Amino acid sequence: MPPQANAPLPPGYQLDQYRIERQLSLGGFSIVYLAYDAQGAAVAIKEYLPNALDLRREGQIEPVVLAEHEAAFRYGMKCFFEEGRALAKLMHPNLVRVLNFFRANGTVYMVMRFERGRTLHDLIQKHRGALRERFIRGLFIRLLNGLREVHAHKLLHLDIKPSNIYVRTDGTPVLLDFGAARQTAVNGQPALRAMYTPGFASPEQLDRSSPLGPWTDIYSVGASLYACLAGSAPPPASERQREDTYQPATKAFAKEHSSQLLETIDWCLQLDPLARPQSVYALQKAMARCEPDEPMPGTVFTDLGAKIKAFIGRS
Amino acid sequence: MKFTIYQESRIGKRRSNQDRMAYCYSRDALLMVVADGMGGHLHGEIAAQIAVQYIAKRFQREAMPTVADIPLFLSRALINAHHAIVDYAEEKALADIPRTTVVLCLIQDNTAHWAHAGDSRLYLIRDGALKVRTRDHSRVQMMFEQGLIDEAAMRTHPDRNRLYSCLGGLDLPRIDFARPVALHHDDLLLLCSDGAWGHIHDDQLVTLLDAPDLLAAAPRFLDEAEQRGGATCDNLSLIALRWHADGEPVQPTTVSTDTLGAQTVTTRLEGFPQPRGDGQPPEFSETEIEQAIAEINAAIQKFSP
Repeated sequence: MPPQANAPLPPGYQLDQYRIERQLSLGGFSIVYLAYDAQGAAVAIKEYLPNALDLRREGQIEPVVLAEHEAAFRYGMKCFFEEGRALAKLMHPNLVRVLNFFRANGTVYMVMRFERGRTLHDLIQKHRGALRERFIRGLFIRLLNGLREVHAHKLLHLDIKPSNIYVRTDGTPVLLDFGAARQTAVNGQPALRAMYTPGFASPEQLDRSSPLGPWTDIYSVGASLYACLAGSAPPPASERQREDTYQPATKAFAKEHSSQLLETIDWCLQLDPLARPQSVYALQKAMARCEPDEPMPGTVFTDLGAKIKAFIGRS
Repeated sequence: MKFTIYQESRIGKRRSNQDRMAYCYSRDALLMVVADGMGGHLHGEIAAQIAVQYIAKRFQREAMPTVADIPLFLSRALINAHHAIVDYAEEKALADIPRTTVVLCLIQDNTAHWAHAGDSRLYLIRDGALKVRTRDHSRVQMMFEQGLIDEAAMRTHPDRNRLYSCLGGLDLPRIDFARPVALHHDDLLLLCSDGAWGHIHDDQLVTLLDAPDLLAAAPRFLDEAEQRGGATCDNLSLIALRWHADGEPVQPTTVSTDTLGAQTVTTRLEGFPQPRGDGQPPEFSETEIEQAIAEINAAIQKFSP
């Protein structure tokens, strides 16, 4: 993460109908705040503010965009709108929900529902390979419901990874950060953009060797599942294409997890897009298939829910 | 790496310039590419642009700071550029698949590797003499090699523009990969489109270009080629590079990559239309912003419970 170039809005600042509480996180193109609306309900507000452009100093509110940066600033804004467009259409318990979108201070803001919990990335770090299979399955089956909704709208997420999967305090997942999401069926291939996360991005995202599709997100789901077991991402696809050092999950974790989960992970992580599950539905079917003596994952994650009381960003 | 480089594209007497080219370098690798979009088919300039952009992007991604497998890089870059053009045509439902020639050269570890499809050429000039150049994938070149016509006839033959390999189009390109050549101090590499070489014999080309000051000689060469091209002069493009061995004295115009970061890639594109202003992406107007916000909020309302 680069150093924060832009000063965040000060606590207590009244932004339209929202009162800023504090900064939650910092991205390359935005700052996310915790804020309260007029009714006192918590929301997360994402402010478009490219970190690379150094737009706001301490004590300033309105970003100062130099003439030479104006075009780049506007162009980035266009991408920010694409994320808003993608999310606005989606309405699903396992997808982050956009509540409002507005202009102020010479930039734009996206208001999202505030979720309590922590990222899957944090959970993996904390439990390092000790996440229980029941938990993993329960989480991903719900997450895949959300992803199905994304694909049903002819969108691809294109940046699924544990740090974009939020686990609420009740153990249910929310898929976050649609900054890379793109419309597929209408516009065809998304424009080239270098914003992939090594290890979680599919080979076709890196070298454009074949069309992107649901199978592209499915590779990232497989890599995220793998990270739950291994504690870290599989080797980057670019490396795997040169020399595949990937240890199949069926081999690496044979003792600790069911062969059915491990086979599913290896299936998702095939380098050849056609060799992976072709739809989320196919993947869900594979994951939901139960061993004879194994009950379906429960809906209440009592053991875990008790442990996670952290609010967003506090971790 | 140390080198002097010159790149220029001219429209000639045509209505549009369908040539595109670029060079990119990291600390330890240098890529040069020239593509000549083919007239007679629709959107030649699009094919050339996709090819150059794709190849440059790929280099930017892989040359960190060297390309791991050079032959694989060259073949993947060219074949995938071909597919990118075909995909584009399919996506835009074009009546015909755009086509472009391409010549591509990668220098790494003091060695030049090149490949081409079509009649854009690479020349390597050493010690005042032509050492090697690419063989065109043209009908006249084939007829010449079969002994059917002589060199003079090649320049006037009615079919001299017929190519049997290019990127884009219905068939897979036929790509020639040259044997890698270790570079010597002062070697001169030239990549150019047929507009630049079409009216100039190889020996004249050597005389014109192989002057001490490359940055003056290269534009002079284009002047000459343009003049000989006459009233219908084709687009002309060239990248000329003078290689400097390590330890040799450096001119102020020499590019030295030794101080670059290992992850930095410098890219210079040429012939690409400038959208507006100074090459920045087109601006996003106030109205468009308002529209986008209205559209998003409409969607939020529509999908809210």
